[in-house]
Amino acid sequence: MSRKLFEYHPVIGYHFIPGIKARIDHEGGGYLVRVNAAGFRCDHELTPEKPPGTKRILIFGDSFTAGDGVSNKDRYSDLLERLLPGTQVLNFGLSGSGTDQQFLIFREYAAGLDYDLAVLAVQAENIRRVANRYRPFADENGRLLLVAKPYYTLDADGRLALHHVPPPKEPIDPEQLPESERQHVDWAGREGNHALLRKAINTLGPWAKTLAQKLTGYQPYPEYDDPDNADWRLMNAVLRNWIGHLKRPVVVFAIPYFAYVEETSSSAGFEARMRELADWPQVIVHQALHDLRQYPKDERRRFRFERDTHPTVSGHKALAESLAKAVRPILQQGGA
Amino acid sequence: MAVTVLGISAFYHDSAAAIVRDGQIVAAAQEERFSRKKHDPRFPRHAVNYCLEEAFIEPDELDAVVFYDHSLLTFDRVIKSLLSVAPRGEEQWLKAAPSVLGVKTYIADYIRDALKRDVKVLFTEHHLSHAASAFYPSPFAMAAILTMDGVGEWATTTIGIGDGQAVRLLKEIRYPHSLGLLYSALTYYCGFKVNSGEYKLMGLAPYGAPRYADTIRRQLIDIKPDGSFRLNTDYFGYLDTNVMTNERFCELFGGPPRKPESRITRREMDLAASIQKVTEEAVLALARHARQITGCRDLALAGGVALNCVANGVLLRERVFDRLWIQPAAGDAGGSLGAALLASHMKFGVPRKMHPAGRDTQQGSYLGPAYSSGEIRAFLDRSGYPYEVVADAAARSESIARTLASGKVVGYLSGRMEFGPRSLGSRSILGNPLRADTQTVMNLKIKFRESFRPFAPTVLAERCGEYFELDVESPYMLLVAPVRKERCLPFDLAALVNSNDDMLPIVSQPRSDIPAVTHVDYSARVQTVHRDDHAGFHDLIAAFERLTGCGVVVNTSFNVRGEPIVCTPQDAYRCFMRTEMDLLVLEGCLLWKEQQPKLADDQKWKEEYELD
Repeated sequence: MSRKLFEYHPVIGYHFIPGIKARIDHEGGGYLVRVNAAGFRCDHELTPEKPPGTKRILIFGDSFTAGDGVSNKDRYSDLLERLLPGTQVLNFGLSGSGTDQQFLIFREYAAGLDYDLAVLAVQAENIRRVANRYRPFADENGRLLLVAKPYYTLDADGRLALHHVPPPKEPIDPEQLPESERQHVDWAGREGNHALLRKAINTLGPWAKTLAQKLTGYQPYPEYDDPDNADWRLMNAVLRNWIGHLKRPVVVFAIPYFAYVEETSSSAGFEARMRELADWPQVIVHQALHDLRQYPKDERRRFRFERDTHPTVSGHKALAESLAKAVRPILQQGGA
Repeated sequence: MAVTVLGISAFYHDSAAAIVRDGQIVAAAQEERFSRKKHDPRFPRHAVNYCLEEAFIEPDELDAVVFYDHSLLTFDRVIKSLLSVAPRGEEQWLKAAPSVLGVKTYIADYIRDALKRDVKVLFTEHHLSHAASAFYPSPFAMAAILTMDGVGEWATTTIGIGDGQAVRLLKEIRYPHSLGLLYSALTYYCGFKVNSGEYKLMGLAPYGAPRYADTIRRQLIDIKPDGSFRLNTDYFGYLDTNVMTNERFCELFGGPPRKPESRITRREMDLAASIQKVTEEAVLALARHARQITGCRDLALAGGVALNCVANGVLLRERVFDRLWIQPAAGDAGGSLGAALLASHMKFGVPRKMHPAGRDTQQGSYLGPAYSSGEIRAFLDRSGYPYEVVADAAARSESIARTLASGKVVGYLSGRMEFGPRSLGSRSILGNPLRADTQTVMNLKIKFRESFRPFAPTVLAERCGEYFELDVESPYMLLVAPVRKERCLPFDLAALVNSNDDMLPIVSQPRSDIPAVTHVDYSARVQTVHRDDHAGFHDLIAAFERLTGCGVVVNTSFNVRGEPIVCTPQDAYRCFMRTEMDLLVLEGCLLWKEQQPKLADDQKWKEEYELD
């Protein structure tokens, strides 16, 4: 019975409970979580000014960045800080968040901070979260409920409109959700097409899942395959809007789905869409996939846990080393 | 570098974990509080997780993990005991085999696998763990140690000595001769659950007369002048069956055991009184012998029998020793703490640091998890439960005190959870001791338990002498003392017991001016609260005193019958909603029952908990 880590937030939807220290029971043996006073899983407090004589990197992302499954010190953000002496890395990662919420985190907490470089960590799954308005969770009694999240829509003129701010505080019974909204729930594979088949395969074990994905040529995120896909256009707009607010160099750190790393599913769409972002000045798109695929296959498999698909300590280490390659030259050039 | 040791007790009953850094207790907790399974014997993975959380370390930062007993010696005892009764004993073997031939043969690997780290694993002995848990946190530089329980590996009772950072055992009594098992046999015979219902038997004792004490002394236990004793194993079933007693035992006391949940009769009351009296005699004799062979002036106690607070009270009043200190987690759970302390001091040579003010180092036994206001509000907000924030501690104490003064019952979660079986004001249900109906209301409408069960008082430490004949602190609710004579009211227990099998009229009779906490023999199981240990709880009682003139509250564990004491705010809310408590205090948040929505889909909750 690990602690609950999140509380309601009137703009982002939820965030880490400020100041919490916890150890989360996990298949990897458990991990330590320390949250700063602002509500981010970061060992540093947020101060407007950088510590004297240091470069400051801001990293935004989801659970891969927040570090689900590993202790703070073992995350790629913290490892990056150790790889780059004289650098302070502020981790703004929020588990379960979409790029839209990550942008709101920047607006609410980071826009006023002094920094040298921003890293927008785009994990492949984020596109689903940007496209959805509700996420499921199990309450204290194991009941499946929904929480509303903030979300954007894109109008015909390419303008973004923000909705659900503040998001409704009360959890929602899925049965009570209006019919028109039901398509906007991010079930993340728990419902929808082939849910029963997925459950059956998962019951057999992780090996069965991998085999089934390989045999079927499973593509978890077909949204990336088409540059005109509505979900991608929305995510693209959110990212471009965000980049437009950044006054310092930006690295878009594309974090691949594990099946891309293990080559059981095609990454072509994801890579292509990420490359589209490189046309913006001062933006470097860094695809971790190329570096991760340099490792032997059995080592790559150990980048994630047996069941949990989040990165293990070795997965984070590989991500940190990959990101350092992109970040180091920018910092050495003295920033912008 | 600090020396950090994790202690584990598991695979019998009351699994627990404790973590000690440089000899100081950092955290300790029972697995049942997290798993919500009473007396959970499984590997304490949640408790271990919590201990590492509180210490905020990774498993590979541990210098060692210490298991609280020695499985090979237990195996030796099981095998030799079975051989002694062969060809009988098949039932016992079938019960013991999965444990002694199963996980207990690969505990070190089990621990390493659970932690996913190649940690150093050490083993100690069961009663040495108990002895260490009694001595190291005590306020004594040197003390005699007495441990008594059902059984460890072979030992059931030991006398030892603690001196500085060393603990040594000097004498032992071995299985099957066990004071704990004798008490458990009577517990079973009176219809209560073994390893769980012993304290009920103790609570029942004052209703009876010790008319079976001579029979017990003549037929069941032979207590020698030096405190050593032997049981007549002809009367017990635990050697060769899975039942504590046998036919001869039943014949001795005139019939079959009482069926659980059936009406309690005069026989059970008298048996309870009788075994209690004999236990007190045995404990006194053992203590006198311990004093004689150690020459020490102070005594530290542990083992399940040390939870017999009536016997502890007798021991205190008899002045065999100048001072007593009893490990609050005296049962097997405390073995985890003892094991960790023992390894710290005796294996790693960490010097023992005494409390600068001469108090103990158990920290009020508030060694479990606390929950921040942020965590609590996050839970309440997400669940949509209405609450009132009273951030000012003084205003909060006043508000809760007014509620208690009006006769209402309060669920109180405040600070770090207690380690040990008693609620000490961190996870407590509180009531007004001045009202005669409080005991009945709290037993039947809140705890859903037997009406005869008494409630304990918590008294401001500085006011203790005004209410009880007790001149020492009792922070862990492990001493029973008489209510002061001038507070007592005439009450003819014998007449009431003889005229009526129903106990409600008996417990409803006022026996003192603090009736709800005065047992039928004018005794009370006292907790004294010192402001240094729990300021919030102390201030609440002080506020109650300002309103009512009474510096005492009723304090019972925050649970219903069969449920482990609550741990999290979520557990507390659930328990609150399932009972007729009026107010729930979750740190700075107050929740009033009448404002809460009904718990959905919760009609069958009583089936969750096996009755104890």
